[in-house]
Amino acid sequence: MIRYFARRAGHGLLMLFGVSILLFLLFQAAPGDFLSEMKMNSQISPETITMLRAQYGLDQPLPVRYWQWLKSSAKGDFGYSFAYNAPASTLLWPRARNTLLLSLPALLISWLIAVPVGVLAAGWRGRWADRIFAGGTSALLALPDVLIALVALLVALKTGVFPVGGMASINVQDQGTWAWLRDLGWHMVLPVAALVVGSLTIILRHVRASVSEVLESSYVRAAEGHGLPRFQLLFGYALPAAANPLISLFGLSVALLLSVSLLIEVVMSWPGIGPMLLEAIMSRDLFLVIGAVMLSTVFLIAGNLVGDVLLYAFDPRIRRQG
Amino acid sequence: MVHALRNLNCEIAGGESVGVLGESGSGKSSLALALMLLLPKNARVVSGSIDYCGRSLAGFSPAELRQMRGAQVALISQEPALALNPVLPSGQQLADVLRAHGKLTRTEVIARCNEMLRQVGFAEPERIMRAYPHELSGGQRQRVAIAQALICRPQLLIADEPLSALDVATQAEILELLQCLKRDLGLAILFITHNAGALSAITDKIMVMRHGQAVAQGTMAKLQASADEYVEGILFPEKSLAQTAHTPRSRPSVAPLLELRALSKRFVQKRLLSRKEFVVQSLDKIDLVLQPGSTVAVLGRSGSGKSTLARCLAGFETPDSGEILLEGNPIATGGKKKHGARPPVQMIFQDAATSLNPRFTARQIVAEPLEIMRWKSEADRTIRAMQLMEEVGLDPDWASRLAVEFSGGQRQRLVLARALAAEPKLLIMDEALSGLDMPLQAQMLRLLMDLQARHGLTYLYISHDLNFISLFAQEVVVMDAGRIVERTTPEKLGQSVHPATRELVEASERLHAPGVEAAV
Repeated sequence: MIRYFARRAGHGLLMLFGVSILLFLLFQAAPGDFLSEMKMNSQISPETITMLRAQYGLDQPLPVRYWQWLKSSAKGDFGYSFAYNAPASTLLWPRARNTLLLSLPALLISWLIAVPVGVLAAGWRGRWADRIFAGGTSALLALPDVLIALVALLVALKTGVFPVGGMASINVQDQGTWAWLRDLGWHMVLPVAALVVGSLTIILRHVRASVSEVLESSYVRAAEGHGLPRFQLLFGYALPAAANPLISLFGLSVALLLSVSLLIEVVMSWPGIGPMLLEAIMSRDLFLVIGAVMLSTVFLIAGNLVGDVLLYAFDPRIRRQG
Repeated sequence: MVHALRNLNCEIAGGESVGVLGESGSGKSSLALALMLLLPKNARVVSGSIDYCGRSLAGFSPAELRQMRGAQVALISQEPALALNPVLPSGQQLADVLRAHGKLTRTEVIARCNEMLRQVGFAEPERIMRAYPHELSGGQRQRVAIAQALICRPQLLIADEPLSALDVATQAEILELLQCLKRDLGLAILFITHNAGALSAITDKIMVMRHGQAVAQGTMAKLQASADEYVEGILFPEKSLAQTAHTPRSRPSVAPLLELRALSKRFVQKRLLSRKEFVVQSLDKIDLVLQPGSTVAVLGRSGSGKSTLARCLAGFETPDSGEILLEGNPIATGGKKKHGARPPVQMIFQDAATSLNPRFTARQIVAEPLEIMRWKSEADRTIRAMQLMEEVGLDPDWASRLAVEFSGGQRQRLVLARALAAEPKLLIMDEALSGLDMPLQAQMLRLLMDLQARHGLTYLYISHDLNFISLFAQEVVVMDAGRIVERTTPEKLGQSVHPATRELVEASERLHAPGVEAAV
């Protein structure tokens, strides 16, 4: 069992290396760097730029720069942001925390809604309730995420019940921990709701599809023939047997949520990784971009690892393979 | 719209057992599901009613229906081995049935489950309770499924082909178990099968079905006396064969077609977490000679190495040591793999449905070997494919149909046509007929004997059951644990003293009605 997870974690580590190398190569291939814009400024002499370039290490060949970055990563700095003049990690950690503050509750809520509703929809397949469900999810699926975020903002603006974007009210930190937490929760409602709406439908449809398939199987029909109650049939027999592909989807849903999250953060001005990544790409802040993308990769790998652990716990056939 | 059942009348008294006999597609399984009101959504009851203890099932509320299912009327569905949920321990699945029909304490549930598992023949019920379905063998799963059906002490058991996927020895065990339960518990049984032999031992009366209707009802003795052609075909599939059967021609003077010399093959299973290796000696120094134009039957329980032998001959596996000589030329020697197809050796598998590409038309399927050999032109290949279809008794007009549009028996013919396209000398049939019902098996065998006479084919017929062996094969080889334990002729098979052979013969005798054997 330990070997199984060690192997999975090893794969994750290898993937991180691969992603970092790819990122360096991609940046090398893209024209220009952080100092390119300064060249246009007539007040900065070419000598200054050359000096700065040497100072930032941008004049070094690619393998050397990669090695420097690896050394800095080992120290926990993950490179140095040119624009903020600070180690990338000190900029990224608080941002990553904020992104997780949105993604994790959204992930939890999406699955908590999707699993029971999807199982029930599968149990009702062919009836009117299922048709309404299918129509509703198709409509939601067709909505672009940006639109969802904009509608959420519009709701906030028109009703005045929820704050319009941002993460905290002014001066709230002076009013004590409880007030701060409540304020934070209040700010989270709309972005989390937008995230749930954006990711729920896909999960729902998968749950419905894979449970429907299992409901047609000979063993569920046999269990029905033995007179098992309907609720137990759906949740005790069909769901565990259908769980295998769903757990794989769990890992993927982390990636889905992250990508939706980056967008919604920008639109709703939530200080997560999203806005920072956008800004860093615009200004070619090399190490900040790499750091942000690497962080997303880490989340994704962690999501898949959790999926593997769940799969191991759920499916006796995988347990046997070891 | 298809009428699966038409105007069917049947009565089962308490403690009585009724056999339902019919070819595939005669509506037997629909009957079983209809009795439980478990028909799929696309099925509709047009007319008629099912009464249980004097009350129509249509008047049962969903809750009453649920209470009836499992507790009073239980179902062993077709392929019981697939009736267990793969992700739940079998003990839980057994206990859930019990809990669904009454409040019991934990210890009571466990005690009842253990007792039931002992009754279906498990010596260590605790181990079976903990095991997941994939950790049990097919026969064990079947017995767990039967335990599930019987644990609430139902009054009526509906068993839909409960034996079809098992080897003969296990079949006989299960049959004996049902007989005991019938006697001890006063269980009424509706036993659905296509195999007449199994019925006489267990049923009081028999109903023969065709096209959803009951064509004959009565005791075995009464039916055996029937003059109806369909009833006769189902009860005595061998009878129709006896006319075509020819005396074995032995041609010892001719050089052997195939020779196996000390062929061995073993499989090593390694587990990730342990250093232990599990070695399975699948073939242990097998010597075998096949004369051209002869039929040799290889018999043995599942796991005796029959299939590995076939796979080595067909070139799917490389033997570890020993030699295979085809017409005196080595085609495989120990450890060395010879690549490339072996057109003179063709193989037919048990399940025709899975060995055909569902997206291919019949013409594409039959012409495929020709295409691989780059035989002549496209047009010639089509003509040849049509000829081959005709030869195996398929209408050449169906050449553009997809494989899935053929019935089970027709698909097996299609597979045969494809094998013949390569103009083989040796045809290996690995349980090729086991998936078919008895009348179809008889038809296929007649065709095979016919083809053998016409093309001088050599057959290696691998099977776990002794049906038709005496009519078909000239030589019988019995395998057990990777070794050939006995070489004999079909006539002397019954007098054999070897335990492995005896087991097969006895199991087969228990399965077949005495009348059936006498008719041959």
